[in-house]
Amino acid sequence: MKIRTEQFKQVAIKEMANARTKMFLGLLPPVFAAMRASALATFPDPAAATAYSASIREEVVASLPELLEEFEKNAVARGAKVFWARDARQANEFILDLARKKGITYTTKGKSMVSEEMGLNDYLKNNGIEPFETDLGEFIAQQLNRPPFHLVGPAINVPPEEICELFIEKADMQEPTHDPVQLGYAARRYLRDKFHNLDMSITGINMAVAETGTIINVENEGNIRLNKSTPKTQVSIMSLEKVVPTMRDAMHLLRMLCRNCTGQKISAYVSFDSGPKKADEIDGPDELYIVIIDNGRSRIYQDLKTRQSLRCIRCGACMNNCPVYSTIGGYPYGWAYTGPMGQVLTPLMLGFDKTQDLYRACTLCGSCKSVCPGGIDHPGMFLYYRSKDVEGDQKFKAKKRDWKEERFFDLWSFGTTRSWAWKLGSKLVRPFLNIHAHHGIVSKIIGGYAFEGWFRNRDLPAFPEKTFHERWKDIQ
Amino acid sequence: MKTVSMFIPCTVDIMLPQIGDDTYRLLKRLDVNPLYHEDQTCCGQPAINAGYLKHAREVAKHFIDVFGEDEVVVSPSGSCVWTVKHHYPELLCDEPDYAQRAEELAGRIYELSQYIVDVLGLEDVGASFQGKVTYHESCHILRGLGISDQPKRLITAAKGVEFMPLNNADRCCGFGGEFANNYPDISEEMVKDKVNNYISSKADLLVLCEPGCMLNIGGYLSRNRPDKKVMHIASFLSASI
Repeated sequence: MKIRTEQFKQVAIKEMANARTKMFLGLLPPVFAAMRASALATFPDPAAATAYSASIREEVVASLPELLEEFEKNAVARGAKVFWARDARQANEFILDLARKKGITYTTKGKSMVSEEMGLNDYLKNNGIEPFETDLGEFIAQQLNRPPFHLVGPAINVPPEEICELFIEKADMQEPTHDPVQLGYAARRYLRDKFHNLDMSITGINMAVAETGTIINVENEGNIRLNKSTPKTQVSIMSLEKVVPTMRDAMHLLRMLCRNCTGQKISAYVSFDSGPKKADEIDGPDELYIVIIDNGRSRIYQDLKTRQSLRCIRCGACMNNCPVYSTIGGYPYGWAYTGPMGQVLTPLMLGFDKTQDLYRACTLCGSCKSVCPGGIDHPGMFLYYRSKDVEGDQKFKAKKRDWKEERFFDLWSFGTTRSWAWKLGSKLVRPFLNIHAHHGIVSKIIGGYAFEGWFRNRDLPAFPEKTFHERWKDIQ
Repeated sequence: MKTVSMFIPCTVDIMLPQIGDDTYRLLKRLDVNPLYHEDQTCCGQPAINAGYLKHAREVAKHFIDVFGEDEVVVSPSGSCVWTVKHHYPELLCDEPDYAQRAEELAGRIYELSQYIVDVLGLEDVGASFQGKVTYHESCHILRGLGISDQPKRLITAAKGVEFMPLNNADRCCGFGGEFANNYPDISEEMVKDKVNNYISSKADLLVLCEPGCMLNIGGYLSRNRPDKKVMHIASFLSASI
C-alpha cells in the first residue's frame, strides 16, 4: 500500500467535498455510539468493565517479552510453528517462501490489518501469488485498490451502485443488482470456490493466549472460520502486542472488543485454535504457522511513554467517536490505520517527519480516550509527539519547528512569567490588532497571514480598551 | 465570608474581559469574597499544546508562585483548570520546589459552575432570562473535569428559562487552539455543525463555560449568523441579577 500520510490536508479537503461520504459520515457516529452504548449497558458497571480491560492491556504491555515467550512455548507444544519476523520484509519473505515451497498459485485471506501494514497483498501479487481477500469489505477495498476507509469496515463508505459495477467486472456477477444481500451472495459465490481444495490461507489474529498457545479470531462473516478450517496450511499473522496472559483475560477482552467494535455482545463467529489438526480430528489445517511480527514495536515498547500505543485492541471505537474522523473519513490518514488509533500508532512506525498532520490535526477533545477499552490517552500521546518535535528528537525522526514559532514561544514565556511584561505587552499589541476593527469586530489583522486560517471563516471581538488587569482597579 | 482567588485566563484578560467582570460580580453576589492577584498571566496551555514543555514549565511555576498559597482558586475556563489539575503535576514532577505544590493545588482549583454548585451548594443564583437556552458541553469541561450537570442546573434554575436540548452537545466545536488556525477547512466543518445544531435546537441563546469555544463559535456566528448569540455562563448568570 502506498503511504500517503503527507497528503493529509489535500485528501481531507477532497473528502469533505464528497457529498456521499459526508452524508454517510453524518450517520456513522450516532448509529455506532448508540449501538455501543446499549451493548456496554449490559454490563452491571460499564466503567468498571472498561477499567478492567484497560488494566489487562496495561499488564500486557508491561510484560510483553515474557508473555510472548510463554505463548510461543505453548503454541509450539500444541503443534504450531512460530516464526518471528523483525520487520514487514522478513514476514513477507517468509510467507512467500512458504507459498513457493507448497507450490501454490493463490491464497485466501481473512481480514488482517497487520497484513495491510506489511503490504502483503502487493508483495504476494508482484511475486506471482494471487491473494483473495474473503471478508466482504476487504474484498471490495482490494478490488477497488483503495486503502481502508475504516479500521473495521474498510469499504463501509462504498455505495452499492459502485459495488455492482465492480462485481460485474471483477467477480463474475451476471445480473446487475443494488441489493446489498444479493451483492453479498455474489461475493460469496465467487469466493466460496476458492476454499475448495485450498492449499494455503492467511489470517490475522485478534488475541493470542499465552497460557494455552491459542489464537482467537473475531468476525461476523464466517470467512475466517473457513480460512482456518479448509486449507492444508494455515498462516496466521499477529503483531506482537496481540498476546494476552490468560484465557480469562481473553474472555473479558472479547466482551469489550465486540461491544466497542460493532455494538454486539458477541460477534457472529469467534474461533479458538490451539495448534493444527490433531490425529483424531476431522477438520483444521495440517500445518499452522504463526508469524509474530515486530516491525518497530520493540522500539515502541522500550519508551515507557510510547509503549501505551500497544494497548490498542483494534476495536475502532476511537474513530467512531472522533469529530475529526467523522468530518474527513478514513482516507486522509493515508495508511493502514485510520482515526485516533492510527494517529497514535502510525507516527511511531513511519517516523514523525512523514506524519506531522496525524498528531496535529486534533482538537484534543478527548472523545477517543473516553471510549478506549485499552485505556490509551490519545491526546496525551499527541502532546508527547509534539514535544518531541520541539526537542528535535531523532529517535522519532522528529521535525524541528519553524524558528519563528520558537521565537514566539520564547517571547511569550518571557511575558507570561513576568506580570509587568504581560501588562505592557497586552497594552502594546492592542492598537496593532485593532487596526482593522469595525463596529467591535475584527475580521482580519495586520500582518495576519499567520492567522489566515482563523480569519478565513471566523471573526474576533475587537480588542477592548482595557484588559481585565486594567479594569480590576475600577471594579473594586 | 468565603474567600476565593480568581484566575482570569489570558483569553478573558485580553479579549473577553467582561467575563472577568461578570465572574467577580457573580461571586460577590453569592457572598463570596473574590481576590485577584495582579501578578497572574496565563496557565501555559498554549505552550503545552504546541509541545513547548520547557516554556510551559516556567509558566506553570509562575502560576504556582502566584496561586500556590490560595485556599481555593476559581476560574471561568474549564480548559485552564484542566491544565492546572491534569498537566501541572506531570509537568513539574521533577521540580523539587514545585512538584508537591502542584499536586496540592490540583485539588484546590475549580471551574466556576462547579464551584457554585458543588462547593457553595447553590443552583438558583438569582439569574433570569426570558427565552429558550441551550448549553454546549466543552470538551475539557465534560471529559476532562467531568462537569456537565452543574452548569445545566444553574441555567435551568434561572427564572424564565426554557432549557432546550442540543443535538450532539458533547461534540467538539472545532476550536482546539492552534487546530482552528492550522486546519481551517476541517475546523469550519466542525463549527458549522455545532452552529447548525444550535439553530435547530430553536434556542435563543447558547451558553457555555469555556472562553476558547466562545471565541470559536462566537467568531463563526459573527461572520455567518450575526443574529445568533453565544454567552459565557458567568455573564448569563450575572447579567440579569
